[in-house]
Amino acid sequence: MKKVTGILGIALFLIFIVTPAVNAAELPKVIKIGGQGITSGSKADYGHQMIMGAQLAVEEINNSGGILGSKVQMKFMDSELKAAVATKNARYLVKDWGAHFLFGIDSSGISMALAAIMPQLDRILIICHGATHKVNEEAIYKKGLRNTFRISVPTYQDGILPAMIFKDRPEIKRIASLAAAYSYGYDSWEMFEKTLKKYRPDVEVVGKAEAPFLHMDFTPQLNALMAAKPNLILATPWGGEGLMMLRQAILLGLFEQPWFKVWFQCMGGSIDMAEGLTPDVKSGKFHGKLWATARYLWNWPDTPRNKAFVAKFREKFGRFPNYSAINVHTAIYAFKKAVEQTKSLDTQKLIKALEGMKVQAPDGERWIRPEDHQACYTVPGGNYVYDKSVCPNAFLGNLVVVPWEKYFRNPPDYKLP
Amino acid sequence: MGNFIFQALNGLSSAMFLWLVAAGLTVAFGICGILNVAHGSLYMMGAYFAFTSFQILGLNFWLSIVFALIGAGIIGFLMERFFLRRIYAQPIEFQLILTFAFILVFDNLTKMIWGTMLIIPTMPSLFQGTIPIVGRPFPIYNLFIIFAGLALGLIVWGILYKTWWGKKLRAAASEREMANAIGINIPTLFTAAFVFAALLAAIGGALSTPVRVCDSGVGGAVIIPAFVVTVIGGLGSLKGAFVGALIIGVISALCTLYIPFIELFILYLIMAVVLIIRPQGLFGGEV
Repeated sequence: MKKVTGILGIALFLIFIVTPAVNAAELPKVIKIGGQGITSGSKADYGHQMIMGAQLAVEEINNSGGILGSKVQMKFMDSELKAAVATKNARYLVKDWGAHFLFGIDSSGISMALAAIMPQLDRILIICHGATHKVNEEAIYKKGLRNTFRISVPTYQDGILPAMIFKDRPEIKRIASLAAAYSYGYDSWEMFEKTLKKYRPDVEVVGKAEAPFLHMDFTPQLNALMAAKPNLILATPWGGEGLMMLRQAILLGLFEQPWFKVWFQCMGGSIDMAEGLTPDVKSGKFHGKLWATARYLWNWPDTPRNKAFVAKFREKFGRFPNYSAINVHTAIYAFKKAVEQTKSLDTQKLIKALEGMKVQAPDGERWIRPEDHQACYTVPGGNYVYDKSVCPNAFLGNLVVVPWEKYFRNPPDYKLP
Repeated sequence: MGNFIFQALNGLSSAMFLWLVAAGLTVAFGICGILNVAHGSLYMMGAYFAFTSFQILGLNFWLSIVFALIGAGIIGFLMERFFLRRIYAQPIEFQLILTFAFILVFDNLTKMIWGTMLIIPTMPSLFQGTIPIVGRPFPIYNLFIIFAGLALGLIVWGILYKTWWGKKLRAAASEREMANAIGINIPTLFTAAFVFAALLAAIGGALSTPVRVCDSGVGGAVIIPAFVVTVIGGLGSLKGAFVGALIIGVISALCTLYIPFIELFILYLIMAVVLIIRPQGLFGGEV
């Protein structure tokens, strides 16, 4: 009997130690991850930062033994910020190239388009930049398109956070919008206006202007808004367009007007904008009135982990990491963690593993909310400052930290906070 | 009323950029018969050359414009002499394919040479600041653009209508075989006309650098409104390009002030109405 028990014990032990090996052996020698983002035109830096973040993550993972022994191989494509191109890329990456996982995406429209086709492709997509709340609230939560996740903050950051910051500034009574004429711009403004009016019914909308994608001359829009003398303008055109717009606002003398108090540039804390704005911030052309946020700020939080990431990134690429870089980096690590937990590349198992996952990003823990696959974490807002001893570029200082719990909308009713 | 005047002035400065691009487009089509969809790329190259000479080589603003003109002129010459000349007799589809290929070539060329990062030249000190117009600060540079656009319009008109060379160009445009028969060297003349069109695009690009960024996608962004302008004014008509640019620039600015959410709709509606009522454009057929 003892002999039988001993044999059974050895058999169970062998099963116990062999099982992981068997599951891990199901993994291919190379795990392919496919990314896409904008790498051409006036917003190209967002895609290039994604490539940098992905390269860093892949290098780190492969140097430390890969994912359960499998090496990671990455391919990145230019989405051209076009839904048709991004859809074609996604199909190519999965069907032809054999990607096991997709990441990236800069635009709200593309995010919605890809969320719709991911179940057909039977892969997971982690969005790292595209911001519309319709992805998490409608596509994922209501329609059940559960192959898609988002590791970056949604438009709550662009619309609700600034309202929370400026609701306590009584001198801001007249507000105006200069919106990117697509989902991101409209959603951000709607959230901002509704939230601010909820706390400050005395606030009046005095102007609304909008600019289509790839717009170059914002002077008519700026003049139209200036005629209404707003105290605050919330602006959503981003990247190169955002820079042109701010430059034209300086030319028009907007920041010198005594009635004008705040320009909130929703994603103005991105590195390409910081680099581009440096000469003007340095020479005081914004008079301290330029505020912004982003989907990650390299100078927050002031933790050893974040500092180490920024230092490593700068050493490798010679630049500060933008949010698109860190979000891609974090997305790849979230995928790695999911594969390690499930020891599988089965999409349904990976979805379950990612739902509710707490993943460590350089800026702290991000919780992937299981209901709508939205990563929850805090990013502050701040105003542009220049301090050579801190950074060669302008950066967001005087940071106002509002915990994400205070400004994220939540399932099931997704009410304003 | 003050807002109206101020916004109309802004529309006028936007119109001048449109005019310079549309003028080149219409010269290339009206004289050489080339529908050059890569015309925006010549604008882009002008911007990059001006940036390089002003910001990198440290030349002054005026010299940087000259540098941009020389660079774009050489490119225009090479395009016409070695590529476009071979397809004059071919159907227009060949022109579209070839010139579209040029867009891709120039976009990638700029990425290889200048990288994909945004390039943001600084405003020359001469043009920094504003002057009050109807009680509001109007950028000096925008005012300069209005005068520069009008002056260039006069120069172009003078060249085409008051010089012997201009007369030859117009003769060749209206009756190529007859002009050839009376001894006008058509191939050389067409090369010169195409270079002239390239110079107009390049000067638009060079003048845009202090207020706009340089990037590899800017050519595509400028060509669409330029086509709208030429469709309204009449492809091949300089007068049409000028009037079309004024219509689009000023109406766009005023719509932004009064009815911002249908601004684009109004612009394309104007184009659609012109196409229905007068398919050849307001001044179509005039060179």
